[in-house]
Amino acid sequence: MSLAHEPTTGATHTPVVIEELRKIYHADRAELAVRAVDGISFRIERGESVAIVGPSGCGKSTLLHVLGCLDRPTSGRYFLEGRDVAQLDEDDRARARNRHIGFVFQSFNLLPRMDAVENVELPLLYAGQRDTRARALRALERVGLADRAHHRPNELSGGQKQRVAIARALVTEPSIVLGDEPTGALDSRTGREVMELLGRLHAEGTTIVLVTHDLSVARSQDRVIRMRDGKIVGDGPAAAEIEAFVQENAGDFA
Amino acid sequence: MLIHETARTAWRSLAQNRLRTALTALGMIIGVTAVIAVLAIGEGAKASVEGRIRALGSNLLTVRPERAQGAVRSARVETLVRADADAIAELDGVEGVSPESTGTAQVKYREANLSSSIQGVTADFLPLRSLDVASGIGFSPDDDLGRARVAILGANVAYELFGERSAIGERIQIAGNGFTVVGVLGAKGDVGFMSPDDMVLVPLGTHEGVLFGQSYLGAITVKVRSEGESEDVRERIGELLRLRHRLRADAPDDFEIRSQTEMLATMGAITGTFTALLGSVAAVSLLVGGIGIMNIMLVSVRERTREIGVRMAVGARRRDILLQFLVEAVVVSIFGGLVGIFLGWLAAFAIARFGGWETIIPTYAYGLALGVSIAIGIVFGVGPARRASTLDPVEALRQE
Repeated sequence: MSLAHEPTTGATHTPVVIEELRKIYHADRAELAVRAVDGISFRIERGESVAIVGPSGCGKSTLLHVLGCLDRPTSGRYFLEGRDVAQLDEDDRARARNRHIGFVFQSFNLLPRMDAVENVELPLLYAGQRDTRARALRALERVGLADRAHHRPNELSGGQKQRVAIARALVTEPSIVLGDEPTGALDSRTGREVMELLGRLHAEGTTIVLVTHDLSVARSQDRVIRMRDGKIVGDGPAAAEIEAFVQENAGDFA
Repeated sequence: MLIHETARTAWRSLAQNRLRTALTALGMIIGVTAVIAVLAIGEGAKASVEGRIRALGSNLLTVRPERAQGAVRSARVETLVRADADAIAELDGVEGVSPESTGTAQVKYREANLSSSIQGVTADFLPLRSLDVASGIGFSPDDDLGRARVAILGANVAYELFGERSAIGERIQIAGNGFTVVGVLGAKGDVGFMSPDDMVLVPLGTHEGVLFGQSYLGAITVKVRSEGESEDVRERIGELLRLRHRLRADAPDDFEIRSQTEMLATMGAITGTFTALLGSVAAVSLLVGGIGIMNIMLVSVRERTREIGVRMAVGARRRDILLQFLVEAVVVSIFGGLVGIFLGWLAAFAIARFGGWETIIPTYAYGLALGVSIAIGIVFGVGPARRASTLDPVEALRQE
């Protein structure tokens, strides 16, 4: 694996650095190119918690897929833990997802035929590690579900499922946890509980990036990146950016 | 992911859906069962043919009449006569001669009644064919000359007519003529065409003069002094018969000389061909089984698209996904193969027990069945598994 290295002086890298990232889709036979992500640059420091907000179709989901190494950018550079992963092949991207990324999905995406601890164990199995069961149990303990280890997803409530999913995201101690509307399928009370859990994990040092259009979710992060039409239109402390976002969309709601 | 984890995952996913797994494997089960049963029947038939070759000895020649080319089509070919047999007996290298005549007639004893092959033979028949009476006596030359109404029964015929009772001295009817049973042959136990167990032997003179009223022979069995002389003797018989039948130099033989081993080898080859034919029919059902596996695996990949996406998201490489589905297909086919082997064994046992055919499952059949099962699992599993492994993770996760 030959990797370009981000210029850095320290021993540890910035978890995420992206430069001029573009993802362009070409619709079949059409001249029209869809610029889902159009020249984005930012960095995310270790221990930050960031919310990416914007109207639907603004490219935030595409950005999340690229950040999660599920998709490849058309151009630009993406350094994950100092290594340029933008042009990695399939296997190396799988390895990068396994080691550096933890996903939390809106619809939980637990495997229905496995119990909670087996779901949490899965990334460790693909990493080829030992002692997977004990580590999976520890991760479940961190999200307060040690007593539900042998329940299948259909025996768990929505909030519990999302906590299992969070445990699965954490179990490999990834560089960043990526959340795609993590409270989108939950009622507001369990949504708040999940956000409290993520807040606690953030306080313990986990780097978190969430894509959301729920402003209360965005508000509980340190920093908010606003997107529109594939571009960043604002990037700063949560309170200020949300204020700007509300201003910007005031007309839409009126 | 470690291979045993992959196997465990595959096993669970199959165990989760038992009925579907069983139905998927059914094609394989039927195919393997059929292959094993056919091989067992074929191998059994081969063994029984070989047994008969060994029992006959390899220094027997059979002379049979052959219709001359261009001759009128007639039901019976009338070229061989007893004088031919007597002349052959005088040839160098010939140890014994048994002229034989064949017919079919109704055999009756009281109420018991069956249609049987009636062989007209001389006193030399039994020693020449390495046969012996289990009870009673054989024929004497006087029986032949005097057209004695005596009969020797094959073991099956004796059993059909007399059951467990002794047949010796009893009067039976052959085509309406009264005969006295003087002997019963020992059971040879072989099956099929021209087994001595199913014959009734009468003196040749009686056969010709009393029963069938014809003086032409069905065959002359010649015993050669030693196996090495077999070819020479065959030539000498050929020359002698052409001379005796006054065939012109350009006329084809009106007889055919074959060694017993040749005849049985031909039968063995026919058996082999049948086995191969039936085996390939059975193999087609294996193919169908494989297609069944492929079909279900394709459905399974489609159903589990989201699962595949999730696995990719948490770090499964393409080859992990490929292996998972491939192992699932192979596990199904091995399961089908093992069940099929067991049922095939059961079928072979039942055929031998109730069908009366000898069955032998050759050892290689087990390995073959298992190997073919694994191969079919791989061949028909690799397509669906590839399809699973080349899914785009973003698309797969989007799947409902």
